Amino acid sequence: MKLRPFRIALVLITSLIPLALLAVLVFLGRYSWPAITFNGWHFLFGHTWNLGNLYADPVMQRGQLAPIGANYGILVFIVGTLLTSAIALLIAIPISLGVAIFLAEGLGSNLKMILSFVVELLAAVPSVVYGLWGYAVLTPLVARVIGPALRSTLGFLPFFSGSIGSGYGLLAASIVLALMVVPIIAATVRDALSQVPSETKEAAYALGATHFEVIRRAMLPTVRGNIIGACILGLGRALGETMAVLMVSGGALNYFPGNIYSPITTMASFIVSQLDSAMQDPTGMAVRSLAEIALILFVISVITNIIARLLTGTSRNVSSV
Amino acid sequence: MSEKKTAHSVRTAVAASLLTLAVAGSFGAAPAFARTVNIMETGSTLLYPLFNLWVPAYTHSHPEVRINTQGTGSGTGISEAISGVAQIGASDAYMSDPQMKQNPNILNIPLAISAQTVNYNIPGLNNTHLKLNGPVLAGIYDNHIRYWNAPAIQRLNPGVRLPHHRITPIHRTDGSGDTFIFSQYLSFSTPYWNSHVAYGTTISWPAVPGGLGALGNPGMVQSAAQTPYSIAYIGVSFANEVRRAHLGTALLENRAGHFLLPTKTTVEAAAGQLINKTPKDERISLVFAPGAHSYPIINYEYAIVNDHQKNTETANAMRQFLMWTVNPRGGNARSFLRQVRFIALPARISALSRKQIAKIR
Repeated sequence: MKLRPFRIALVLITSLIPLALLAVLVFLGRYSWPAITFNGWHFLFGHTWNLGNLYADPVMQRGQLAPIGANYGILVFIVGTLLTSAIALLIAIPISLGVAIFLAEGLGSNLKMILSFVVELLAAVPSVVYGLWGYAVLTPLVARVIGPALRSTLGFLPFFSGSIGSGYGLLAASIVLALMVVPIIAATVRDALSQVPSETKEAAYALGATHFEVIRRAMLPTVRGNIIGACILGLGRALGETMAVLMVSGGALNYFPGNIYSPITTMASFIVSQLDSAMQDPTGMAVRSLAEIALILFVISVITNIIARLLTGTSRNVSSV
Repeated sequence: MSEKKTAHSVRTAVAASLLTLAVAGSFGAAPAFARTVNIMETGSTLLYPLFNLWVPAYTHSHPEVRINTQGTGSGTGISEAISGVAQIGASDAYMSDPQMKQNPNILNIPLAISAQTVNYNIPGLNNTHLKLNGPVLAGIYDNHIRYWNAPAIQRLNPGVRLPHHRITPIHRTDGSGDTFIFSQYLSFSTPYWNSHVAYGTTISWPAVPGGLGALGNPGMVQSAAQTPYSIAYIGVSFANEVRRAHLGTALLENRAGHFLLPTKTTVEAAAGQLINKTPKDERISLVFAPGAHSYPIINYEYAIVNDHQKNTETANAMRQFLMWTVNPRGGNARSFLRQVRFIALPARISALSRKQIAKIR
């Protein structure tokens, strides 16, 4: 009985989070509704983004006032977003698992503390710092070293051959994203690994397992749920990353990447780079279409989350064991 | 203990700020404590270097005004001047008719005349001025002309050994007046471009595999310098950066069929053609002007300003500052404009601008 007010307060505070999420969704939906009716399904499958002629008088089209020739299709940006995030995770997951295992099991306690702190610190570096580094250091490196090396080793695969270009593009964006994602995954997995009950480990040792087998057979399966959770966190950051990607992606418009070195654009970076152009549209349709991109991005992250949850199946986190 | 301390310091801070407010309030009216007026300028990265020359010189003699400058792109300049975030929006493009209909209070005030160069990075040829024209540039930017030694380019440059390399066209990703005047050049000279792509501060660039987007004029210079066999359009106020990056500059074909570089003579010749056609609200394109000596890509550099400011002090300060910028003995003096390779406003245009500036209240 005494706990009642406390409980009510807790419920109120906790419900703020889903309510905020819902509010964002409702706002985006309402605000972009004219764009949704104007664009239809073409929005998802078209690959031309055209604001139309902003210097002519807008006309009524499909029940909405929009500039002549306005045509919004975002498939290119959806592809760019999913490709950069996927490649970033492909690079980041093995590295971060290695880092996490090394930190949790391979070090003495002093060094462990210092290095864990450094990894966590990396997770807190603002993304624009990574972006600037990518812009100044990574893109020339991709153009001169990483790109040619990849092409000469993996060039027999279609996606790795062809022109390397300027360094700005899919590969640079994915590497920057991977760098941003590694500390997140590594720190989360390391935490989980260090919480594996010593009984589990001792039981494995008692069965005659080597240190490596203990990690592989006993510890990693125990934290499987945490690993997937960490990857979702990382994916979330990669999908939504804006500035760092904008600075190294090459800002491709209206075409799909031909190979891994091609310039691309992601949904998030497109929203920020096009907002002030869109505001030149007197009908507001362009800004509403950008809001529709935000809505789709939101939906995509929800879907990827659900898929990842389904993949984890019945496996649980260590904390709930 | 520490909580008490925090509470105490919060109380002190609140008291202190209240006191400051009270003091500021009571002295606000006194002329001896004339408040500094803050003016924010944002927009065109082409005008940005010029504002950075103007502002220190002007505020030196007018210490009561503080002017902040930002190079964010003409699109931002226009939208922030409309929303009131910035007092002066710098833009290389004038506002469209539909936009003017929505925002009848906004003035488009030319401050100077600028030009644009087309630059390229072809190893070995950057000291040669290649000849290019609108249809060829349109072909490069819409993927019809893919190699530097394409017949269309070779025809314009007989005797030049052009390399068989893919061209990487670079465009601006931000809303940009440079995109506006460049795409106008293509539209006015190439009917195909005009009917399929047209012009604007942002246009739907045709898909060119490998084509790059860059942010602002600094980004254009950097991307072009870093990408061999690329081509870019860059505002003339970045001529020094272009030279430092060892990029080549193209001779562009004007309406009369002559190939020219932007010089004081060719830019003034082009401006001279359109002085008498400039309307009262000064929204007019100077691109692809007639005349044998007219450089084809020039434009008025605009201050986008709301004629209703939030208070008279700001309005007065802005009027004074803008009047100074268009004055041939003030901001339009050759000593300023020469450094960014701009051209002063002709007397008639200057008079039109002053008439518009006088409307700011």
